[in-house]
Amino acid sequence: MISWLTDSIVSKITLLVMGGTSAVLGLVLAHSYTSSRDIILRESEQNARNLTLSVARRIEQEFRAVSKVPAGMAEYVEAQAPSSTQNLLDLIRALVANNPEVFGAAVAFEPGGWEKDLAAYAPYFYRTAKGIEYVQLATPAYNYFQMDYYHIPKLLGRPLWTNPYFDEGGGNILMVTYSVPLFWPGDKGEHGDFRGIVTADVSLEWLTELVESIKVAQTGYCFIISDTGQFVTYPNGAYIMSESIFSIAEEQKKPRLREIGRSMIRAGSGFEDIGDALTEQEAFLAFARIPSTGWALGAVFPKHELLAEVTSLHHQTVVWAGFSVALLLLVSILVARSVAKPLLRMADAAEKVGRGELDIDLSDIKTTDEVGQLARSLAHMTEGLKQRDFIRDTFGRYVTRDVVSRLLDSTDGLKLGGESREITLMMSDLRGFTALTSHMKPEDIISFLNRYLGKMVEILLDHRGVIDEIIGDGILAFFGAPEPLPDHPARALACALRMQEAMKEINALNEADGLAHLEMGIAIHTGTVVVGNIGSERRSKYGAVGSAVNFTGRMESYSTGGQVLISQATYDHVADIVTVNKAIGIQMKGIPGTVTLYDVKGIGGPYNVYLSQADETSRPLVPPIDVTVWRLVEKTVQGTGVPALITHASQTSVVVNLCEPVEQWEDLRIRLETLGTESIEGELYGKVVSAERHLDSCTAVVRLTSMSPHVHQYLTKPA
Amino acid sequence: MPQWISQAQFAGYMVAQEKGFYREAGLDVTHLTGGPGKNCFASLAAEETTFCTGWLSTAILQRAAGLRLVNLAQMIQRSSLLLVAKKSSGIREPKDIENKRVGFWVGDFDAPGLFFLKKHNLRVQVIPNYTTVTVFLTGAVDAVAAMWYNEYHTILNCGFNPDELSVLKFADTGVNFPEDGVYCSEEMFESDPAACLAFAEASLKGWKHAFDHPDETIEIVMRHARDANTGTNVAHQRWMLAAMKDLMTPDGNDEVFGRLSEEDYRRVSEALKEVNLIREIPEYTKFYRGPR
Repeated sequence: MISWLTDSIVSKITLLVMGGTSAVLGLVLAHSYTSSRDIILRESEQNARNLTLSVARRIEQEFRAVSKVPAGMAEYVEAQAPSSTQNLLDLIRALVANNPEVFGAAVAFEPGGWEKDLAAYAPYFYRTAKGIEYVQLATPAYNYFQMDYYHIPKLLGRPLWTNPYFDEGGGNILMVTYSVPLFWPGDKGEHGDFRGIVTADVSLEWLTELVESIKVAQTGYCFIISDTGQFVTYPNGAYIMSESIFSIAEEQKKPRLREIGRSMIRAGSGFEDIGDALTEQEAFLAFARIPSTGWALGAVFPKHELLAEVTSLHHQTVVWAGFSVALLLLVSILVARSVAKPLLRMADAAEKVGRGELDIDLSDIKTTDEVGQLARSLAHMTEGLKQRDFIRDTFGRYVTRDVVSRLLDSTDGLKLGGESREITLMMSDLRGFTALTSHMKPEDIISFLNRYLGKMVEILLDHRGVIDEIIGDGILAFFGAPEPLPDHPARALACALRMQEAMKEINALNEADGLAHLEMGIAIHTGTVVVGNIGSERRSKYGAVGSAVNFTGRMESYSTGGQVLISQATYDHVADIVTVNKAIGIQMKGIPGTVTLYDVKGIGGPYNVYLSQADETSRPLVPPIDVTVWRLVEKTVQGTGVPALITHASQTSVVVNLCEPVEQWEDLRIRLETLGTESIEGELYGKVVSAERHLDSCTAVVRLTSMSPHVHQYLTKPA
Repeated sequence: MPQWISQAQFAGYMVAQEKGFYREAGLDVTHLTGGPGKNCFASLAAEETTFCTGWLSTAILQRAAGLRLVNLAQMIQRSSLLLVAKKSSGIREPKDIENKRVGFWVGDFDAPGLFFLKKHNLRVQVIPNYTTVTVFLTGAVDAVAAMWYNEYHTILNCGFNPDELSVLKFADTGVNFPEDGVYCSEEMFESDPAACLAFAEASLKGWKHAFDHPDETIEIVMRHARDANTGTNVAHQRWMLAAMKDLMTPDGNDEVFGRLSEEDYRRVSEALKEVNLIREIPEYTKFYRGPR
């Protein structure tokens, strides 16, 4: 599953698109929800406030209207003074009879307030099922002076709405008493002393009905608390007049409810999130005070009902969002697939390329977008690889990058099909190497060869030579094709001289490793050959054919170690800058006349390479060294050894005295038998550069091409 | 007969009755209701009730005035009286109520208040305080006497927070008068001391049970309160019961439970004598006949 998620571009794109869109959609939804919720809440708050304020105002009006009845009565008693007890009683009865909202009314006097000798007088009329009844409140068991409705207006000198209470006699009706103080007439229109009170008991049935009739959302409700927090109306009837909002807060351990109660009875109006303080579900509370009584009307709005519209709208939006996301999912899968499919094709193609199969076909990917670009680039890359492979196959590893890119860049293509061209050929060979190797360990041969060839190839490539062939220690290279180099003879010569110089370095390393000292011979010839791709379909290489190639090979066999021989043709090209040690005339089989070869010392001009001169001073060896000499034909030892003596030696050659005649240019193998007083094991290889016949012996100067390390050490020792 | 309306202040007697502790003690007890307009000691004198409760200070005054009553058990061991004022009135200590309107109970419950004023040498305008705290709530008084277990909580549950109120505890200002005790007439005690002591013991057992089983007790109290139309609620009665436990066994001290120490008796009597409410201090041994 995880790998499906991370390995597939389809799932990645899909996931990213889905994740991104879902996040954005989520944010938008959340924002729209909160802002629409805020709008609805603001609206609801306003509605709720308006509702409670208007209901509170209505209740206030009722209370004010009712309060006018006992107030009017008080004014009348103060100003007109009822003429008789009967008159007073009639007035009170009429007050009850004429005001249906008044359940009962009393006028209660201070001691002596009505008649001087009356310590208490409080006539009270109230409704019963039978009609309006009269009772005297002043009894020994009932001390009305101590009642709040009497005591408090007396203390405060102003009217008072009492706390509501259940009337016990009148059928358990919720009542409240409005109590207006009565005063004796005073001076200058001011109140005199307190004389008593006029009370009106008002049934709160209308209030309960009114509050219950107000619809608040679906399950919301209104209630009223008194100025001390007592429930005057509440859906739970058990609360009324026994519990207060504060006692419920205490009992249910809801300090928040206590705070709400305090706000309700102290602030004019408000709107609060009350959580679950009052109801099981979260709710808002709007409230407004009823000024006359100091009571507060509260309206509880269950939150979920208030937000029902937003919630349902939001649900719809969420469904739509889900639908859109699903659609998007489909689209993004399609898009991702359209990207992934060509990518997979290309991945397959690249895989094939990796395996070396360069025949890929991406032509069906026709889009012009980035994917199409990639396909075209891939095709282009494959084309490039094909060409590179071709050049590799053709030139092997031994052409420089430079040459390759030049070949690739040439717009007219490479004329590799074959052409006749003048080029300079070079052939090099290690003298005596083949014979030497018969005594060496195979791994030494390889490391020896690699060291040698590595260096030579590097120098060749530096001079833009093309390596035609490497066979063992022999290298055939040419200059001037396929890229035309106008200075190919000089270039080849400079290259050869540098190769010779490099041999010193190689020999130093070889000696340090205990390997034999070797010399290299090089021949250079300039001539017209046919160059081109030679070979079959499966393997072909760029090479040169012609007599000049063979001629170069033959020339090479005449070179001695450390020598660079050039032909007349080459010499003619470089005559003005070349320095020659000597010209050598040679009779070659099959070639009439003498062939002149030049042993080159160096080349000037821009090339400026000269061979350092070895010390060729001969010193006589006393006594001479006993040696055995074998002839080499075609690089292999022929016949049995002939005893001989080395009479003189220089660093590069020895003079050998032997009893059999030898010819110039013959190759010899010489084994040392004794070396003065020392007995040195070792052998040397060399080419006879001159031979002088005597009667029964022959003196030959042998140019050394390879020798065992000990011998080399001995010979290079200063005289 | 309890000295006030049915509430947790008398939970022990209600529980003793309900749980049959009186019956177990061989007593057939009827629980009368008290309240405003009813005077316990007068009812005792008039033989309308056999046992009653009342404040120690009131009982000493009555005894000194010739009513031959005896204390069978001292329930409340210290004063729970407070003077409560709104913080906004600036009242912080006793001297701040000088010349202010202060609500005090009159009659049976005025002795500690009078001693308080005398002790702190204060002149105030005494406003009679009846059954409600309306005088305080409406601002008709600057400060009002309140019982910690009752009126103080009532004020809190009218929406005042403790930090909005200034509270002067009588107990902290040298007027630490023990309050409720159980009384009967000396005549009754002499005729049947065993029954009297059994009543006291059963009552104490009732209290113990009440403290150990608050939920059950609140239920019993609420039933009585409803029957008597006290117009109260569970929160209030719970507060009151917890307060009673604290007042009757101060700091969890069970040793003083139900007992009147001679020291407390002397202190209250001498205070009353000091303000000339009594001339002679009644003899402690004749006054207190409860468990020692």
